[in-house]
Amino acid sequence: MRIEIQGLGKRFGRVVALDGVTIELPAGSRTALIGPNGSGKSTLVRAPLGMLVSSGSVRFDGVEAGEDRRALAARIAYVPQIAPRLAAPVRDVVRAVGRLRGEPWAAVAAAAAALDVDLDALGRRPFRALSGGQRQKVLAALALASGAELLLLDEPTSSMDPKSRVAFFGLVEALPPATTVILSSHRLDEIRRLVDRVVVLAEGRVAWHGGAEDYLAAHAEAVVEVQAAGEPAAAWLAARGFARGTAGWWSLSLPVAERAHLIAEIGKRLNGEVRDVMARDVERLQPQWPPQPQEKP
Amino acid sequence: MTLRAEIAVVARLDLAEVLRSRWLVFCLAVHAVLAATFVLVGLRESGVVGFTGMGRALLSWTHALLFLLPLLALSATGQVVNSARDDGSLELLLSHPVSRGGYFAGTTLVRVAALIVPLLVAMPAMAVFGALAFGQDVPWGFLLRGMAVSASLLCCFTAIGLCVSTLVRNQSKALMLSILVWVAGVALIDFGLVGVMLQWELPPSAVFALAALNPVECARLALLSAAQPELSTFGPVGFFLANKVGADALLLLGIGWPMLLGLTAWTWSLGAFRRRDLL
Repeated sequence: MRIEIQGLGKRFGRVVALDGVTIELPAGSRTALIGPNGSGKSTLVRAPLGMLVSSGSVRFDGVEAGEDRRALAARIAYVPQIAPRLAAPVRDVVRAVGRLRGEPWAAVAAAAAALDVDLDALGRRPFRALSGGQRQKVLAALALASGAELLLLDEPTSSMDPKSRVAFFGLVEALPPATTVILSSHRLDEIRRLVDRVVVLAEGRVAWHGGAEDYLAAHAEAVVEVQAAGEPAAAWLAARGFARGTAGWWSLSLPVAERAHLIAEIGKRLNGEVRDVMARDVERLQPQWPPQPQEKP
Repeated sequence: MTLRAEIAVVARLDLAEVLRSRWLVFCLAVHAVLAATFVLVGLRESGVVGFTGMGRALLSWTHALLFLLPLLALSATGQVVNSARDDGSLELLLSHPVSRGGYFAGTTLVRVAALIVPLLVAMPAMAVFGALAFGQDVPWGFLLRGMAVSASLLCCFTAIGLCVSTLVRNQSKALMLSILVWVAGVALIDFGLVGVMLQWELPPSAVFALAALNPVECARLALLSAAQPELSTFGPVGFFLANKVGADALLLLGIGWPMLLGLTAWTWSLGAFRRRDLL
């Protein structure tokens, strides 16, 4: 589903949540919305659902969003950041959504099972009695099983455990290529795995719009940690710029692009002296900002 | 999906919510306690404005209901929409192919049913119990009149409650406004009317018109119009009611005016619900 947002504006009283946002997302694109709290990410995710009265225009495959909200909603699936605390049993919630969307129970149950939720076992429990993570998984399963052409995900894994997060990534990656995904997220792992472009919002405006790789290059930093034994290894690590930690651990921050090369070098130079190696990516608090845009908004 | 099917889905889910929150059980319990109190205490052969036995118990009960039903309806509905907005259930449900009108209609149906069904079960049950336990004749005409008037009053205040919950985003403020509406309905308007009557000697028709603006008063007049001896014993206004308006017109007014008021409030809140932000 192709999305064209033109001059989208939204005010909540005196607060300007969105101020003339203009972006175009081709069908099948995977886009992350990034920005500090209050920058308008959630408002931008919700506006296409017709839940907010806004100025400007949102078009889906050339059709104005307000023209037939029900028909449009059938083509869009949404996972909110915080799952509501409904008193109704889980099975009633799933069946209600299933009836509205024509989703069979088995399809939702399969998606839920992939996220480590046994829908049949939880069916009788009140939805609000589930943990925040379980509720988010059920909603994610409903969205993933819907076959929607557009997935709007508002920090969908914020309450999920690491195993379920990985499973969720797998399910999103397995979606048909034509499925458009808009993801509001702060997590670098989500951006790396799920999206190919990034829209950065600041104070309700598009501050940057470009490729995910460019964003990560500007924002992400790799941290490589090595646990090594012996003085020769310590000397080499110190010379290479590693900082000594406790229990024989050394750590070094470096650009993401150099991470793989460094790990290969450690394997070659310290073979036999390395007990453990860990590599992770973190977001730099003071990035090289702004990166050169690849696409004009 | 048709609008009817959409309403059915919303209603089924909302019914599960209502059942889980024990509202239906609470309403039934309130009716049962009231019914038991009035049956056990009231079924004696003493007369109150011409009513005896079962008739007297029913009259007392329905009068108690005139005060209680608006409060039940307002407390059951005064926070429906704004709490759904706050807890995210509105956001969740309306992200699916559901129209705003379908959601509002489905929710309304369930809330009205949750309030009316206990009433329609408890009133005949009480009458039948009284007949079996105390050998009293059941005044079916008055019973039906009481049920119709009470149901109409419930619909009216359910709609007003939904209107409050739609227009007032803050749940605490909505609760306060609901209580104010109830106090105004059951007490303030009466006091105001008495004050006006003491200050100015109004003609009976003006007193009646002012009183009838209040749906609770309207319902009370409809119930009293079934009283024997006639309303004319209540002075000039009662004489006016009995001779100029008549029992049938009072019944029609007692059912029709609250329904009309409720329909107006519901239509207004539906319009606001369709136009405004849902978040």
